[in-house]
Amino acid sequence: MASETQQRRKRSEQNTGYFGFVDASLVSLCVASVGVVVLGGLVQVSFGAFSMTLVEAWQAVFNTQVIFDLDAWNAFVFGGELPEMNKRSLIVWNIRLPRVFVAMLVGMNLAISGAIFQAVTRNELASPFILGVSSGAGLMILVTLVVLAGMSLTVPLLLFGEFVLTPSSLLPVIASVGGIVAFLVVYAIAWKNGTSPVRLVLAGVIVGTIFQSLQTGLFFFADDLGVVQSAIAWTTGSLTGTDWEQVRMALPWTIFAVGAALVGSRQLNVLLLGERTANSLGMNVERVRFALSGVAVLAAAASIAVAGIVGFVGLIVPHMVRNVVGSDYKKLVVGCLFAGPALMVAADVGARLGMSVLVGADAQIPVGIVTGLVGGPYFLYLMRKQEAMGEI
Amino acid sequence: MSRDRTDGDDGGERMDGGHGAAARPSPPEERQESEDGIAAVSGRESPADASELVGEDLELGYPTNEEPVVECEHVVLPAGEVTALVGPNGSGKSTLLKSMADQLDPWAGGVVLDGERVRSFDAKDLARKLGLLSQHNQAPESITVEDLAYHGRYPHRGFFESVTETDHEAVDRAIDLAGVEHLRHSEMSNLSGGQRQLAWIAMVLAQETDILLLDEPTNHLDLHHQLRVMEVLDSLNEDHGVTIGIVLHDVGQAARFADNLIAMADGELYDWGPPREVLTEELLADVFHVDATVDHESPTGPHISPHAALDDG
Repeated sequence: MASETQQRRKRSEQNTGYFGFVDASLVSLCVASVGVVVLGGLVQVSFGAFSMTLVEAWQAVFNTQVIFDLDAWNAFVFGGELPEMNKRSLIVWNIRLPRVFVAMLVGMNLAISGAIFQAVTRNELASPFILGVSSGAGLMILVTLVVLAGMSLTVPLLLFGEFVLTPSSLLPVIASVGGIVAFLVVYAIAWKNGTSPVRLVLAGVIVGTIFQSLQTGLFFFADDLGVVQSAIAWTTGSLTGTDWEQVRMALPWTIFAVGAALVGSRQLNVLLLGERTANSLGMNVERVRFALSGVAVLAAAASIAVAGIVGFVGLIVPHMVRNVVGSDYKKLVVGCLFAGPALMVAADVGARLGMSVLVGADAQIPVGIVTGLVGGPYFLYLMRKQEAMGEI
Repeated sequence: MSRDRTDGDDGGERMDGGHGAAARPSPPEERQESEDGIAAVSGRESPADASELVGEDLELGYPTNEEPVVECEHVVLPAGEVTALVGPNGSGKSTLLKSMADQLDPWAGGVVLDGERVRSFDAKDLARKLGLLSQHNQAPESITVEDLAYHGRYPHRGFFESVTETDHEAVDRAIDLAGVEHLRHSEMSNLSGGQRQLAWIAMVLAQETDILLLDEPTNHLDLHHQLRVMEVLDSLNEDHGVTIGIVLHDVGQAARFADNLIAMADGELYDWGPPREVLTEELLADVFHVDATVDHESPTGPHISPHAALDDG
């Protein structure tokens, strides 16, 4: 026992210089991200149609009567009866804060999803949508809004009479399922005595192109401007109108995906050594690759279900984090869990309040537009700065 | 570092029974004999954990081939010895090595590790017994030598298990043995090709297998690092009784270093045995298409003086 601790101390002493530095970079990244989230969140709760002063808004956020009220949390997280609270608290806690939480969950999901896909395909340019998820989801969104809009599904329930489902209420689920199905199609196309990263990406591009064409074609059959706008909001990603219901929808999947990504980070590290090395180390590469892709697709689908197809976050967040902490996936995944929400919350501030600040119009734009506007130039900057791009 | 045949002498009686018999693709009764010989040896000389790897009736090929690339009736990596695979480009050395490491499913035949088919092993169980270092390995840029070595512990760890003291010790030993202690915290992207190769070797050493297969580990390395790699493998074999199978481009290096040579030509075993017996001028002409003289009296093993490339015929 004594020799063991002695050994460890010797080793950790050797490591202090190097690991101390990296831990510091990871910690500072996380702290900075939390700072951005808190700041963005406070901006989000302070401004909006119902005007209140900063102090009032912050008091409402830190209203101990809500924070320590189990009934309130029960209402938020499990959808129970909302207890009474004053109007400001209601607006902050029931309208503005949940949107921030949804942004955090979406950012988290997209970031880890992108990180996983970048390791699975061994390609830095991979995003959560590289294996056809976005095109499958986008197509199903269009099909639902344009083709199935008039229909409704009546589910007879024995005791409660009947339960009517309309396609639009099922849209989040349909979109996610469409994404997952597209992913499975891509995998099936790529499979030939096993897969390879290149074949997977190619199959993803092919399926994406076909689905994209179908999706664009369907726009011609949309006769209502409202339908088109709604479709665009879904396919570019928007957090408008999200509340606790979306948190409830995404939270279980997020918890699962985050847990799986953390557990799988060592497998991801070994995958990065290349297929042959991973194989010779005794990894069942095909199984691990499919399982991890599945986790990444679930995470992407969860974010699609609540926010539509938000581009760029899943691509650039792993990049940003890798730039700071290096390519070790144990650190990378943790970094993504913090940086993803930071980017998403900050972008949503722009999406929700940007128009009113810039042109004074009281309009919101889809958050996906902001992430693209912020993400594109940042990606360009990275590309110019880095010597080798595209390699992990 | 070269293994001269002094230790081969005390295994002399085995050499006659074992290698002599297996020098050519051997009929079944002789094969039996050779296995007995090796079993007797591993009881006497080699450490108990030395393992042998045998390929039987192998037909190897890739999905795009119509004909098998390698056909080989019987190939042995004797327990506790170093066996070098030599042959010209495209003779099937790497393919054979891959299938011996269970990375390539044979069309026919099978590979047997200590009496058990490698196919029947669970992937991680096999990776604890048999390590493979492929050619052209690429690591993520910011990974350190130590990180890489820890990956060698992958087959020893369960899905949820964290690093144990055994892992730490194995990594320390591997880094020490590979002689990369001073590079321990360096990132791979900052190392030279030779240093990188030693780091990869540290990784497969941390795997702590009984058998280690390497595919041209000295390719593209300067002479210093070539010798370093060979010294590491040599001490691994001498001190730890690890059975080594190695594809080498340089026949002279193979002859100095290995206990046995397997010479391959056109996907078949041309000859098999101790370097002094296998490495002849005739072999160099037939297999490598070179005109060369071989000095069998050289103290460091057969020495080759190449003169001219022969017509491919």
